[in-house]
Amino acid sequence: MEQFVSTLFNGLSLSSIILLTSLGLSITFGLMRVINMAHGEFVMIGAYMTYVTQQIFTSILPEGASDIYYIISIPVAFVTGFILGSLLEKFVISRLYGREIDSLLATWGISLILQQAARSIFGTQGVNVTAPAFLQGGITIGGCTFSFNRIFIIFLVLFCLLIVWVIMYKSNFGKQMRAVMQNRPMAQCMGINSRRVDNITFALGSGLAGIAGCSVALLGSIDSTVGQSYIANSFMAVVLMAVVLGGVGKLAGAVLGSTIIGSASIFTENYTSSTIAKAIVLLIVIIFLQKRPQGLFVIKSRSLDE
Amino acid sequence: MLKVEHINACYGESEVISDLSFEVPKGQIVSLIGRNGVGKSTTLKSIMGLVKTPNGQILFNGKDISKMPTYERVKLGIGYVPQGRDIFPQMTVQENIELGLQPLGGKGKVPEYLYELFPILPKFAKRKGGDLSGGQQQLAIARALAADPKIIILDEPTESIQPSIIQDIGAAIRRINEWKGITVLLVEQYLDFVLENASRVYVMEKGEVVFKGERNEQDHNEIRRLMTE
Repeated sequence: MEQFVSTLFNGLSLSSIILLTSLGLSITFGLMRVINMAHGEFVMIGAYMTYVTQQIFTSILPEGASDIYYIISIPVAFVTGFILGSLLEKFVISRLYGREIDSLLATWGISLILQQAARSIFGTQGVNVTAPAFLQGGITIGGCTFSFNRIFIIFLVLFCLLIVWVIMYKSNFGKQMRAVMQNRPMAQCMGINSRRVDNITFALGSGLAGIAGCSVALLGSIDSTVGQSYIANSFMAVVLMAVVLGGVGKLAGAVLGSTIIGSASIFTENYTSSTIAKAIVLLIVIIFLQKRPQGLFVIKSRSLDE
Repeated sequence: MLKVEHINACYGESEVISDLSFEVPKGQIVSLIGRNGVGKSTTLKSIMGLVKTPNGQILFNGKDISKMPTYERVKLGIGYVPQGRDIFPQMTVQENIELGLQPLGGKGKVPEYLYELFPILPKFAKRKGGDLSGGQQQLAIARALAADPKIIILDEPTESIQPSIIQDIGAAIRRINEWKGITVLLVEQYLDFVLENASRVYVMEKGEVVFKGERNEQDHNEIRRLMTE
């Protein structure tokens, strides 16, 4: 029982990191039909930004006070991801619209470039971030320990999810984004600059991946491949979303997809091995495909071509 | 108001319209009429910038818009109702109308008269656009009018609409023209509807204008002859 509860807890915190990365992936895929292979590297950049912020703060602030570095690193990681994402969209992706395979290869190339850049700057050895004092330790309830850093990650992700929800469903920009997703030419005929919507959406997704990097930094050492280990699960979550949960780019689908992938991999990993875990997750995807190809959340519509 | 001069438009290799010219004067209801596949919809898409026009000019209030992106043209005051209506299926009727305010930056209010013009819309305000069976045409027209455009461009508004509603739509088009002074460019196949509502008619055949008629009996007879022979 105790093992089950702590596995569930670890599954939840992994799910929430996957959610942050798959949100960006799924929104950009839903909007532009672009699969961004370099998305994991934005996680890595976010993690390294956390490390850099820590280095700067510990060198200029007295011990104790430098703990606020972690809070500062979250907006730093977001803004860095946002700016780099915006540049990547403007100079690479926007030139490859409608050429799915080309954009896939191009972003894969960028992923390799960014990894090499990280190795050149920070070295091949992994670096570590010390969790701030207020995130060390945990609370023990009935024999199960809930570490503060994992609790913090879950709440951070919930907060980001809330912000994304507000942007998508309550702001004018969200309205434009949904219009472009549903019918790009008609959205343009409504006076919406779809290029700008694409750019900001892509940048937002990259910024979220940066925040995911902040969370990752709390859980283990950071090296140039740290993004890859998380992004595989996120891709799986997006595939699950796309083919199983009935369409990409919807928040409910993203939450459920990430939770299924995150929990499934932690549970199976805990009771078997990580290789079997991946295989079982794939199996789940296949079973879903066989049994509910139309998705769990189907959009009801009268038009036949939907 | 709108002047199309010698434009060409192609889909891939095949040229759909060639050297097409016509003019829509301010405050009028002008119709482009022709059978299926003569390039009527393509002409409208060229005006909106959804189809490329390598040659010729499209003048809107004297300014060439033929190289502008679609969303910039819309902001100049062009409302567009496409043939398939293109309602956003996952948004409610109300959200669809409010999207019409995007040319103004999404601010402002939907003009009240639109709800009087189409009473069906407030009734279904909370329904998803994709769930609407009747009323999609009214919704598409209201959406195009929300930002008070100078001209509204309609692509076959009577297509697959029942006869009683066609009357209403014709009346609505004349009203927005008379009340609000909005210029109308109407693409149609339905001859009687055009003759009843338009003050000027261009007959199209194979991507070209073959006849220009005003509102008089002689011209109407000629249009009838061209469309029925």
